[in-house]
Amino acid sequence: MDFANLVAQLNAGTILPEGIIIATLLLVLVGDLIVGRTSSRWTPYVAIAGLLAAVVALYFQWNNPNSISFLGGFNSDSLSVIFRVIIALSAALTILMSVRYVEQSGTSLAEFLVILLTATLGGMFMAGADELVMTYVSFETLGISSYLLTGYMKRDPRSNEAALKYLLIGASSSAIFLYGISLLYGLSGGETRLTAITANILANNVDQSIGLLIALVFVIAGIAFKIAAVPFHQWTPDVYEGSPTPVVAFLSVGSKSAGFALAIRLLVSAFPAVSEQWHFVLAALAILSMLLGNVVALAQTSMKRLLAYSSIGQAGFVMIGLVLGTEAGYASMIFYLLIYLFMNLGGFACIILFTLRTGTDEISEYSGLYQKDPLLTLCLSVCLLSLGGIPPLAGFFGKLYLFWAGWQAGAYWLVLLGLITSVISIYYYIRVVKMMVVKEPEEMSEAVKNYPAVNWNLPGMRPLQVGVVFALVTTSLAGILSNPLFTLANNAVLLTPMLQPTITTIQPAPNPATPGYADLESETKEAIEG
Amino acid sequence: MNLADGVQIVSFGVLALMMLGAALGVVLLENIVYSAFLLGGVFISIAGLYILLNAGFVAAAQVLIYVGAVNVLILFGIMLVNKRQNFVPLRNAWVGKITTAAVCLGLFALLGTMVLATPWAISTAPVAGDTSTVVIGMHFFSDFLLPFELASVLLLMALIGAIVLARREFLPDALEREETQQPVLTLPERPRELASAAPGSPDRTLGTSPTQRNV
Repeated sequence: MDFANLVAQLNAGTILPEGIIIATLLLVLVGDLIVGRTSSRWTPYVAIAGLLAAVVALYFQWNNPNSISFLGGFNSDSLSVIFRVIIALSAALTILMSVRYVEQSGTSLAEFLVILLTATLGGMFMAGADELVMTYVSFETLGISSYLLTGYMKRDPRSNEAALKYLLIGASSSAIFLYGISLLYGLSGGETRLTAITANILANNVDQSIGLLIALVFVIAGIAFKIAAVPFHQWTPDVYEGSPTPVVAFLSVGSKSAGFALAIRLLVSAFPAVSEQWHFVLAALAILSMLLGNVVALAQTSMKRLLAYSSIGQAGFVMIGLVLGTEAGYASMIFYLLIYLFMNLGGFACIILFTLRTGTDEISEYSGLYQKDPLLTLCLSVCLLSLGGIPPLAGFFGKLYLFWAGWQAGAYWLVLLGLITSVISIYYYIRVVKMMVVKEPEEMSEAVKNYPAVNWNLPGMRPLQVGVVFALVTTSLAGILSNPLFTLANNAVLLTPMLQPTITTIQPAPNPATPGYADLESETKEAIEG
Repeated sequence: MNLADGVQIVSFGVLALMMLGAALGVVLLENIVYSAFLLGGVFISIAGLYILLNAGFVAAAQVLIYVGAVNVLILFGIMLVNKRQNFVPLRNAWVGKITTAAVCLGLFALLGTMVLATPWAISTAPVAGDTSTVVIGMHFFSDFLLPFELASVLLLMALIGAIVLARREFLPDALEREETQQPVLTLPERPRELASAAPGSPDRTLGTSPTQRNV
């Protein structure tokens, strides 16, 4: 096998978006090294441009007939494309809101951007990883960069505590995940490609063994940590409270979406033999997440902790779509994540703005904000109401589609529970809105009384303004004009062969090695013998 | 049983005993320095098992990475934390210990049953043995190319992250940073105790005149 042949088989064009991001990352890093601290004037925009260029490159990957690349290591099907778009967009929006935040804390911006871009890269590779080693390396890339971002405000004990907690819990969960996938490797007789694992497991007659169940439980534990589903959520509130807020925004959207992408791909393609079991486990996790996330959020006094618990609850809603196992279920999940991207990041942008102006994130300090900053109040209200699912806004349509898909699939109890908990969630979202809007002037909080004049000309404030307004517009319009997003989510599922029922019925193909791989093996043998 | 088999069985027994003893020592000993050195012993015994399995390269990597890097790093960490503190013995600490032991034994029983009960598909391919580096190299540049390259990005980022965490910060002068009032390298949100003590105190808000900060 000569070099040109190998290059053709690698099909490396599928990772062009990731390549663009790596180039951007290096540009930011080297540019900052050469120019010095003044580089913070242009590095965020370079990073955003790179991420948007990656999104454009992803657009051309849509419905790519030849999606499998790197000899089965990476799959750029429509499902992975849509998740990679979500992750890249969440990183771009996060950068918009982090410029001012990072500048004001006196930390260097370029390194922050580099680590954030690496996290994005890890998430994007995780969304398309089709092979166990690739899955694990990208899982760790996302994880380790998240730990670093969490501890970025290194003189703040809260940030240190958050980073340490996240690191310890993350390391143990990734060890458990690794144990689970190593069991899969063993059960399938030494196969790392997800598509071939099931066939091998069936051929080896271990599809009903206790080993496969243990592998399943361990893998779910690793994934549930990433998406912060309930028994594995303990890190969430503390990490969210102690991390820099833009990082929290990225963790709650980008990292979570990557976790969901991994969950779909790994569970659907590697565990069809224990399909009932994983649906059952995930349904339990969804129920627990919805209940605990939404109920505990009622008692929170800090805005960041409130959004931490709310994001646990939202993960529960999204998991309904995952549990259903129907095309509508997956499509509704993607649709909800697309909407969640805008509304949640919008909410975080508003919190960041308020924090930068007043230095606090206590919910009680928001009272009477309407009198001083109507734009901020409007945007935060819209985003929170949308998260709660109030009708004309985007979140309502997302939840409607999820619950409709659940009802169609016969998951009545799950849908009912989702309805009840979303009513609970409306209560705590509305509490914040009420605090901001209807308070009398004399009930205004100290922070709002001392609210500085709105000045968008300070360095780094423009991008934040752009982020806030963009989130406001998309969250209010994406509901009414949701058809393009809806079509996009549906097509992503329809165009993904893995999620089609005809394909998911298992074909007992004995070790379908790709031609390149067979070549390689014979080459290796020759090399060993020679 | 010929001589080679006997040697293998004996060395397996010795290595397994070494590993189990050292691992128990890591967990049970009170002094953390002993634990750290015993951890090195565990790693070396595992490397011995790899050699018994004809995986010489993996054994060498195990010694280099785990004993040479990870364990030395742990020892450095222990020695740099120069804190003498007598811990007050917890009351009812035995409950925690017994629970831990029960959970560990349960997990061991579960995994042990699983290992014995599963009909593992044992590969019939010949063991690569000393040519394993060639095989690993072939994989790195063909079907494991992407994870291999991604790992290099991961290492670059880890390097940058370590520098960010460890370097002495350049703290800008107060003059340059007139518009901000928060202490450098901290979160802009006030800690909760402070927030409730002095709600909205103007000295940390944006837009007011610059006051003395702890730079």
